[in-house]
Amino acid sequence: MTLLAARARRFWRQARLSLALLAAHPLRTVLSASGLVAGVAAVMVMVALGRGAERRVVERVRALGTDLLIVTAAPAPRIAGRVRQVETSTLLRPQDAPAILEALPRAVAASAAVHRTLVVRSEGRNATVAVTGTAPDGLRIRGISAARGRVWDEYEEQMRSRVAVIGPVLASTLFGADDPVGREVRVGNVPFEIIGLAGVRGVDPGGADLDNAISIPLETALRRVVNVPYVDALYVQGRGTDELERLEAEVRDFLRERHRIRDHAPEAFVVRNQAVILRTERAAARALDQLTVGVATLAAVVGGIGILAVMLIAVRERRREIGLRRALGAHRRDIRAQFLVESVLVAGAGGLGGVILGAAVAVVGSALASWTLDVSWWTALIALAGSVLLGVAVGTVPAMRAARLEPVAALRGE
Amino acid sequence: MSITPVIEVRELSRTYRKNGHETPVLRGVSFAIGRGEFVAITGASGSGKSTLMNILGLLDQPDGGEYRLDGQDVSHADDDARADLRNRHIGFVFQQFHLMDRVSALENVMLPLLYAVEELADGEARARRALETVGLGHRVGHRPGELSGGEQQRVAIARALINDPALVLADEPTGNLDATNGAEILTLLRALKAQGRTIVLVTHDPAVAAQADRVLAMRDGQLAPAAG
Repeated sequence: MTLLAARARRFWRQARLSLALLAAHPLRTVLSASGLVAGVAAVMVMVALGRGAERRVVERVRALGTDLLIVTAAPAPRIAGRVRQVETSTLLRPQDAPAILEALPRAVAASAAVHRTLVVRSEGRNATVAVTGTAPDGLRIRGISAARGRVWDEYEEQMRSRVAVIGPVLASTLFGADDPVGREVRVGNVPFEIIGLAGVRGVDPGGADLDNAISIPLETALRRVVNVPYVDALYVQGRGTDELERLEAEVRDFLRERHRIRDHAPEAFVVRNQAVILRTERAAARALDQLTVGVATLAAVVGGIGILAVMLIAVRERRREIGLRRALGAHRRDIRAQFLVESVLVAGAGGLGGVILGAAVAVVGSALASWTLDVSWWTALIALAGSVLLGVAVGTVPAMRAARLEPVAALRGE
Repeated sequence: MSITPVIEVRELSRTYRKNGHETPVLRGVSFAIGRGEFVAITGASGSGKSTLMNILGLLDQPDGGEYRLDGQDVSHADDDARADLRNRHIGFVFQQFHLMDRVSALENVMLPLLYAVEELADGEARARRALETVGLGHRVGHRPGELSGGEQQRVAIARALINDPALVLADEPTGNLDATNGAEILTLLRALKAQGRTIVLVTHDPAVAAQADRVLAMRDGQLAPAAG
């Protein structure tokens, strides 16, 4: 115990001496570590950017739900180069949704929808927005709920009621700050009563503003607005993200069979799998991570060379001091340890400086610009540990050189 | 002499080899220095006195012969053992002082304790006493740059004394000082001798050597016939 305490005292005194000696050349010490500071800061910012991008992707995809399949009608095949009157396949029907729910136990909810871009008007103001016709289930699956007022029920759905739930962005376009609930709008030329104001939903993966939209009952949309018997999309909700690919295959098979699509015929519908989208977009966001490894390596090389060069100069310049220490009883290993400690001190301080600088840039960057930067404290910890290891690695050669000096020659400064 | 001499060397030889050339620097040097003696080693440049001093200080090793320090044969001690012997038994005083500019006189004096085999609990108190011994009790917190040349050399002497060495080895200790400061340092060395210290002073200056009790004159790698 006393021996340990004595060793600790001795180490502490040596470290203090080293600090005093490093402080003798403050500019040089700072410059030698500056490469590492910049490198670590760059890594911190890159990781923060990557994590920010990934978080944004995840939030965007999650806004729609990661347990969701979206079946949309495929663009209609062109015949002899002529575009047909109907642009998409007319295959999907409203009754497909309850049929899927009944046939596939993995599906917990299903709902059909039509999507159009139409002019919506109210008392002289108008806007061209996304109009969705869907059943109450469809509202629930897509996460549309009333922040004020209410949504329509199954009875209103069956009665083809002219009721609507308006998105907050469209509401403020048409009504400003006034309460839209109870007001009348015309969708196309059909009058609707607004019964609910939807909550804020943000932007979908395609970049469309989900709040600049209006929803109406599916049956009302089909019979009174778009006047077609087919739908544009089926929303199928699974039990969870894990089962979604199995469910996707089942839905494909079910629809092909139900609509008697031949085995090798082109698909008349497209299935968007939210779980797969989440995975691929996440992977895209993570592509930055591979760059991070490269930048970190570069930072280590540049930072390491800076410290190595300055340590080599220090050993040359401090030969008299090394000779003195040897004359006073320092073993070769004491000299080696001293220069290793100094190298680790410089590298550790450089790493710490880089972490602080990087975190500061990330925090200021996300405050000033609208970037999403997510500072990773794990990265900071790894960067610090890596800097210390780097200090050991680049300190080894200078330390060995210092330890190899013969005391007589070193005292003469040779 | 019935008691063990502090230094006893027999037939020391040392040859420098460089590019195939062999230059004999020490050619069979033998002498003994007793406890409490103040001995000067003199000689012209190239006479071998520096090499002799390096060997006596365990900074260099002889190629032949025997060296007993305080009764112990140290001719074949390895690098670590020589470092420990230097730390424990030899106090060095150099021409260029060799102080560390960045730390106080006290910390300079304590530097040998950093490499001591056994940690001393009262290291700082010892360092203060050593500085008082050399008349610098009022300068403990000063850095070398804030001290005169004579004071710096006295800090170096205090550093040499901190481990209570058997031998103080002073290499041209007045070489970088003016006459007044040089005389002060020599007076201090004589005072240390009076306290029972064994002192070996290496110098090319006969006037400085004359301060010692005995002079060993080196010429062509050998001791010149004893003068007194």
